[in-house]
Amino acid sequence: MNSPWQIMTRGDWLVTVLLLGIALLGIGWLAATPPGSRVEATCGGQTCFVADLEQPQEVDLAGPLGMTHLVIDGQGARITASPCPLQICMTMGPARHTGDLLACVPNRILVSIEHAEDETPYDLLSR
Amino acid sequence: MPWNRPLIIIVLVLLLALTWWRLPSSDPEVRRSQLAMGTVVEIVAGGLANERLEKAVSAAFTEIARLDRLLSRYQPESDVSRLSAPVTEVRVAPETAEVIALGLDVARRSQGAFDLTLGRLKGLWAFEEDTPRIPDRAAIREALDGIGPGALTLSGQLVRKRAPSLMVDLGGIAKGYIVDRAAQLLRDLGVSYGAVNAGGDMMLIGQPPERPWRIGIQDPRAKGSVVATVQVSNRAVVTSGDYERFFLRDGQRYHHIFDPKSGIPARLCQSVTVITDSVALGDALATAIFVLGPEAGLDLLADYPHSEALIIAADGSHHASPGWAASVVSP
Repeated sequence: MNSPWQIMTRGDWLVTVLLLGIALLGIGWLAATPPGSRVEATCGGQTCFVADLEQPQEVDLAGPLGMTHLVIDGQGARITASPCPLQICMTMGPARHTGDLLACVPNRILVSIEHAEDETPYDLLSR
Repeated sequence: MPWNRPLIIIVLVLLLALTWWRLPSSDPEVRRSQLAMGTVVEIVAGGLANERLEKAVSAAFTEIARLDRLLSRYQPESDVSRLSAPVTEVRVAPETAEVIALGLDVARRSQGAFDLTLGRLKGLWAFEEDTPRIPDRAAIREALDGIGPGALTLSGQLVRKRAPSLMVDLGGIAKGYIVDRAAQLLRDLGVSYGAVNAGGDMMLIGQPPERPWRIGIQDPRAKGSVVATVQVSNRAVVTSGDYERFFLRDGQRYHHIFDPKSGIPARLCQSVTVITDSVALGDALATAIFVLGPEAGLDLLADYPHSEALIIAADGSHHASPGWAASVVSP
């Protein structure tokens, strides 16, 4: 009786090589495409803006006090103008790591970063 | 038929294994942020089916809103607003009584460095309003009149004020208490690991699948940088600092943590981080230590078992309690 290894035909080998090729290509593709880095904003508790963190742009987010100006650039997402009294949100610096938050509490604007590739070495920040 | 072709079978098994490896984790995690209590509240929950996690997180936010209505001085019907009215006694909710009991204990042990009766003083400085200002000395003296650890007494749910003009402010402890209650609710609903983080004051529940929680401690003078990363499970981590709410006048930094003895912002620290059993206690201790400064602050902390602290003094020097280093993973 023939060993199973001996009954591999040329077609079988072709199928094997094809499957291996598909597997390797798939792994490469999955590794190269992690979930996109996103900037998400809520205005008064409702999602009002979603964008790619890698796409530079500027947007005005409407809150009860007026417009909060959000800039997305190579450094991350940051608030550059706000109608709130203390403007703490403008001093928060850029957000670029997963879980980073920018908040304008008086204007009810909350900006968060999701799925960023550049992860921080910690889960949460005590400040 | 490929079944008698072992190489094809091996490759198929390999493909299945790789697909499994790349599939999203079956252990879901819910992370949601909302504005509440005048800050950003972030809740992370894991260890249950997604639907149950979503319900648990929603319930926690509902509980936060309920307790905020009870304990906020900006809610006209809250216990705190009723306590700040010109009355001498008020019957409060059990939760409010619990907060006041803990606050009075820390006030007594810290010899007044932590104070629940700074409502008038905080109103003068107006850090919570549009235009913070430096009040004149006479107004500060008047706002400090009659305050202190003995200014409030608690008997069951009955709070008595030494003078009707006293205004109660639980800002240094109520947020922490609310975080504790929300975290307990998550536990009760079966969440095996999670976190409730209100503007940096947080309770860490259980342990995520890979490792304990890692918490970065903000560098008080470098936005976006941390002075240390600690690793904790089932602990509260609270930081009080002079860099979140402040203004500069003539080169002087004026912030929102007041020394009850002088009525001006405490000058001995840049930030204090406390790791302890509850966020409410951590909140009160961090404030008291900030006012007392590194030396007296660490003396106070020694009264509290299972509590550690990192104090960054006004000159930037670091002062840690003896057990602090055990939690630190970097630097």
